[in-house]
Amino acid sequence: MSVQIIINGLALGAVYALIATGFSIIFNVLKFSNFSHGALMTLSAFIGYFVSVGTGLSLFPVILISMLAGGLIDLAGEFVAFRKLTIRNTSSIYYFVSSITLGTLFEGIVTIWVGPNFYNYPRFFKSMVVKFGSLIVSTSDLIMFITSFAILMILMFFIQKTRLGRALRAVSYDRDTASLMGINVYATIQMAFFISGCLAGLAGVFLGINYTLYPQLGNLVVKGFIASVIGGLGSIFGAVVGAILLGLMETLLINFIGSGYAPVFSFLIMLVFLLVRPRGIAGSNVQEKA
Amino acid sequence: MLLDVKGISKSFGGVKAIQNFSLTAEKGDIIGIIGPNGAGKTSAFNVISGVYTADEGTILLDGKNITKMEQYQITREGISRTFQNIRLFKGLTVLQNVMCAFDPLSKYSILGGLLPTPKRISEERKGRKMCEHYLEVVGLLPYKDERPENMAYGLQRRLEIARAIACEPKVLLLDEPAAGLNPTEVKDLTELIERLSKDFGFAILLIEHRLELVMGVSQKIYVLNFGKTIAVGTPDEVRENPEVIKAYLGEEEKKC
Amino acid sequence: MEFISSVITFTLISIISVIGVYILTGLTGMFSLGQASFMAIGAYVSGALVVKTGMPFWMAVIIAIIISVMIGFIVGFPTVRLRRDYISLVTLGFGEAITSLLNQTQSITGGALGFSGIPKRTTLLLALISAIVCIIFASYFKTSKYGRQCIAVKSDELAAKAMGINISRIKMTAFLISVAVTSYSGALYAFYTTYVDPSIFGWKKSAEWAIMVFFGGVNSLTGSIFGTVILTALPEVLRFAAAYRVVFYSILVLLIINFKPSGLFGEYELPVGKIIKLFKGGRKEEKGNAA
Repeated sequence: MSVQIIINGLALGAVYALIATGFSIIFNVLKFSNFSHGALMTLSAFIGYFVSVGTGLSLFPVILISMLAGGLIDLAGEFVAFRKLTIRNTSSIYYFVSSITLGTLFEGIVTIWVGPNFYNYPRFFKSMVVKFGSLIVSTSDLIMFITSFAILMILMFFIQKTRLGRALRAVSYDRDTASLMGINVYATIQMAFFISGCLAGLAGVFLGINYTLYPQLGNLVVKGFIASVIGGLGSIFGAVVGAILLGLMETLLINFIGSGYAPVFSFLIMLVFLLVRPRGIAGSNVQEKA
Repeated sequence: MLLDVKGISKSFGGVKAIQNFSLTAEKGDIIGIIGPNGAGKTSAFNVISGVYTADEGTILLDGKNITKMEQYQITREGISRTFQNIRLFKGLTVLQNVMCAFDPLSKYSILGGLLPTPKRISEERKGRKMCEHYLEVVGLLPYKDERPENMAYGLQRRLEIARAIACEPKVLLLDEPAAGLNPTEVKDLTELIERLSKDFGFAILLIEHRLELVMGVSQKIYVLNFGKTIAVGTPDEVRENPEVIKAYLGEEEKKC
Repeated sequence: MEFISSVITFTLISIISVIGVYILTGLTGMFSLGQASFMAIGAYVSGALVVKTGMPFWMAVIIAIIISVMIGFIVGFPTVRLRRDYISLVTLGFGEAITSLLNQTQSITGGALGFSGIPKRTTLLLALISAIVCIIFASYFKTSKYGRQCIAVKSDELAAKAMGINISRIKMTAFLISVAVTSYSGALYAFYTTYVDPSIFGWKKSAEWAIMVFFGGVNSLTGSIFGTVILTALPEVLRFAAAYRVVFYSILVLLIINFKPSGLFGEYELPVGKIIKLFKGGRKEEKGNAA
């Protein structure tokens, strides 16, 4: 056990981190919890699946296609579900309804498209495990971890160091002032949705590989949400740390007690966190604005 | 001493919004707080009314330490306020807006929340009567069934005041009540503030940019700049104070 | 006839669930994505008590409601103090936890296969009376000090605090009432279908209810009820396949959000009081005094 479990937990945590980050980016920009994120993961994962089955492409092109699909669909979603709300500057209640509706729509489309069945990605790797001396690690875990890590690093760099990333942070901080500073607020919001959609696509493919592909796969988005709560709503860094922590804790607990209870653990972990440290790991405190 | 604010400070990150601010008020006082934008006036209000907890200092109301209390408790202890950017409740009528402020004082249980118990009927009647009275005081009784968002700006400001006095405060904090009003409305407001002070006997703290209003009604004026108190005194004393003229009035005049 | 009566009963039970959601979401502006789990708790606990211990129906229902409210308190306690997004996220996690718990505890709940053998106790009449009582409660609640404070909290938390409203407490009150009502609807459901399984109580059920409230008009009880009737009975009668029904829903609601954001009824309430005066009937009102 031990090392294999830890790597397993890290890989799972990394995927949760992708979800949590995608969720946090939208939360930061528009200050609402995007509940369509999960269904978007499913939808783009299925697009990736059918492309890979149809063309026999290898894993990385499939990932790219899923990410692109996720990004584009999220752009469309922003347009039909949130654009008018942003223009009208309505309260977060409307965003909420819009996002769950959009999520239900995505999931409905998937159900009509593929039926209630389970699907499996083709085997992308020649060998299931990689050996480092005496250490045996599953290939998919390794690839998930490395890819997620790399993507998150690129994203951090983008947000912290580039012009567009700065615009994203400015819009997150104060939309009106950002607009006065000459930032194109709507374009920035669109960019946020595109990035978030790409992350959803990536997470979707990984979840599909790790488990199986089915219309309710998106329900796993709840792990990303829990990670964001543990990490502190609104903090991307906190979300990543929270996700890794959640992945590790979950894998350890599952190993002892069995996978069926995993959602109960994640919920209890979140509840304990909220009681002990409601601001989350990062300690950011997003009270509703005074 | 009704309200005794002793050396409160509050910082946000590195910004010292308000430093070592002290203030005393007795029943019936009208006290003005002035200063340029960003001087820390609203921060002082936010700390006194409990939106933020002070980093340092204490606030005593009627001798009771309220510094660390929650915002809603402070309101129930007797400090109520209005907001600079009007914050009325959408989805409620004018009368219901005022009743919301009275509701925490209304005494009926959850059973009365679901069924028309006799206790509920009598308490509701009592509450409605009181709140209609408050609306009458500010001259809004004819509008009681309107939606606040459909009313003129000046009337919305008055509704904020009615709502604040429905909390039955000992100290009333008015944050720029004249902002956005035309000269006639400012005159009416001045008259209203004086009348409130006389009829209800609570202390009024007043943040205001319109000097004709503050200077006219206040017995005592505190001048803030960059979070610090730079002068305290009667309107005349403050007007003469060179520090004030330099920091605040001079600048303001140039701007105008 | 059988079919119509069952559609009506299901619609009435949905109305009861949605009334719970109306108090939470419509009035207080909080979204619970685990609301259906409270329906599940109501259904399973009351069902299990009757089947396993032979307890009388009503006693089992009352115990189920009490247990739901206690669980609701545990879920609500850490969350009501925080910004409103937390309650949706936490209840979503709670819903997943309950679903997995129901799937795992096979010996008691029958696991994924479902829990069957519940006696049929819910009749059309019982559902109708329950719905009317709940509507009356909800409309009195809306016009009470509690309802006003809920709307105030929804509209502006900071200003509500400044008016001396203990917002955590009001949120908790609204949450627990909604939990009680929804778990009652769960009990009715279980004793109507005589069979329940975990899959029907997922977050999408909760989302559907929130959508119904919103569809009818966020502040309007009348609207919520009509929203429920339209969105429950219509697809049922038109015999849409479930998946198409969802798509039909979503598109309808997205259209409403974009073009009539206040919902179908806005803030309109049926003036029941006036209607009753008009007919001058000696009978008691049917829909409560929606103001």
